[in-house]
Amino acid sequence: MKFILEVKGVKKAYRMGNVSVPALRGVSFSVEEGEFVAILGPSGSGKSTLLHVIGGLDRPDEGTVFIDGEDIFTLSSNQLADVRLHKIGFVFQFFNLLPRLSALKNVELPLTLADVNEKETTEKAKKLLALVGLGERMHHRPSELSGGEQQRVAIARALINDPKIILADEPTGNLDTKTGWEIVELMKNLNAKKEQTFIIVTHDPSIAEEADRIIYVKDGIVEGIKERVNKK
Amino acid sequence: MRLKQTLEMALENLKRRRFRTSLTTLGVVIGITAIIALSSIGEGFRLAVKTNMEQGFELDVLTVIPGSIIGGYSYQKFTDQNVTSIRSIQNVTTVTPIMQITGASLKNGDKKSAALVVAAVNFTDFWRIFRNRLAFQEGGLPSSPKNDTIIIGHKVNTVNQTGTFAEVGDQVNVTFTVRSVPPFTKTLTFNVTGILAESGSSILTSFDYWVFIPLTTGRDIYQTEESDVIFAQVNNPEISDKVTDAIEALFPPFRITIIVPITFIRQVDHILNLIQIFLTSIAAISLLVAGIGIMNIMTVSVMERTREIGIMKAIGAKERTIMTMFLAETILIGLAGGLIGVPTGYGVAQILTMILSRFMLNQGGNNGVLSNPERQPSTTVNPVFSLEWTVGALVFGILICVIFGWYPARKAAKLDPVQALRYE
Repeated sequence: MKFILEVKGVKKAYRMGNVSVPALRGVSFSVEEGEFVAILGPSGSGKSTLLHVIGGLDRPDEGTVFIDGEDIFTLSSNQLADVRLHKIGFVFQFFNLLPRLSALKNVELPLTLADVNEKETTEKAKKLLALVGLGERMHHRPSELSGGEQQRVAIARALINDPKIILADEPTGNLDTKTGWEIVELMKNLNAKKEQTFIIVTHDPSIAEEADRIIYVKDGIVEGIKERVNKK
Repeated sequence: MRLKQTLEMALENLKRRRFRTSLTTLGVVIGITAIIALSSIGEGFRLAVKTNMEQGFELDVLTVIPGSIIGGYSYQKFTDQNVTSIRSIQNVTTVTPIMQITGASLKNGDKKSAALVVAAVNFTDFWRIFRNRLAFQEGGLPSSPKNDTIIIGHKVNTVNQTGTFAEVGDQVNVTFTVRSVPPFTKTLTFNVTGILAESGSSILTSFDYWVFIPLTTGRDIYQTEESDVIFAQVNNPEISDKVTDAIEALFPPFRITIIVPITFIRQVDHILNLIQIFLTSIAAISLLVAGIGIMNIMTVSVMERTREIGIMKAIGAKERTIMTMFLAETILIGLAGGLIGVPTGYGVAQILTMILSRFMLNQGGNNGVLSNPERQPSTTVNPVFSLEWTVGALVFGILICVIFGWYPARKAAKLDPVQALRYE
């Protein structure tokens, strides 16, 4: 199996006034293609920063990230945007849908940015919305959808460009337990069906237990990695 | 992102903030309206002045006089040889010499009148040059003028405000003073063949105060073969300068003055042009203010949409894409402002000129540049529709929007995605 993601010695500090606050203090790990990985840690452990770095939203102070064998931090910000557009799909805790666009338009957005023609875009978006169970409500705006439904739209949006990696930042953090589990199930199914790599950041150990592998992060370093025994 | 989608999104964003968009657009509308209104009125004003000035001149007629108009009157006269030489210059169509006889008095029975100038002319050539100005109220140009033919100007024929001095067919006596040593007077009887209609004043003189007799008769009276003034008509006023040079070359230096009407028009046109540019510049300032309004609004808008920009960037939007999205919004505002502003501008121009011309009529039309002292105001200012100004205003409007939209759009494009996503 080849590594779809390699994180190598990533350090990142934030400046708060005159004080430098280290968020990541040298993080390294690798993820194989098709894996379902959870990054587990308490709040403030640096796991969200790690996800932002992996997704090319934030540049590390030291170290780098390889996606599909490519060192993404040697790229210009335009090329990095292309990596995010084509190789990565984001799912956020607060869904982060564009409020004025319908569910369908939100899902279409990455393909629109990628200049794919309108007809193909719409067809694919409809298919994905059906896949996440929202075929009926695709013309509703985010404000007319429940939290769970909004997260499904966000997942469909993350999937539409057929990215190699889906990065999810506390995807259940803003949902009730039952809905949260439905979302986790959905992601696991997609992982199984489409062989896409999922990396989920969570502080909920029970959700992390669903992953093939758990990477424990605390105080900006990897504390340990736990492989599930019955890994598929 | 494709153009269509970019525009759709921009339109959607503008619609979302309808009130704000309308106000911002209103700023542009006012700017464009002001530019269009002022420029089209300005152009109309210019045309009106020009038309009026052209009525005061025969644009295609060069007047050649000896010496200078003021302070340098010369007793030198022109010979028929001079006339022939001028006639042979290229682009000169008609040349006619005249004798100007002053101080003559007219008598028709008991009725008396006087003429500013008794002009001894070649009727055919003279009327060929001034046919538009010298229309007949009564009678006409004799087909074969006799030595005793006389044509009387409108004012000369007006005595005691309303009465007439003579009618066609009357015999009138004209007394000439011949300034020889010693001076003597000579009275001749003429046959009236025409009374002129009111001609309107030329800038140089008013033919209403003139009477016209044949050149040969004038020369007989004064025993001369010379003339005082030569009129030369050119086939195109624009080449007056060339013809003027050619005429001047025929005479020794500094002996004659040539009055070239087109130069007056050019001067006035130049001044009016400056005024128009000045007015339009003032209007352009209002568009500049609108541009600052756009910058202000777009900066606020970028702040409000920080999180959305973060989302767009997270899912792979390039800086260029974000920038284009915001610029598209300002361009749409500029375009809408232009499309509303241009017709509004022409509308405002129409209304303003209506008010303006009414105001001028109330003043009796007897003062100011636009009025003609001898006639009822014949010229009204009509705003001029100009394709150049229209396109120019539209382009300028959009340009202003792009310039002032640039900074906020760039600010949006450069936002850090992580911080933008955290923005509440």
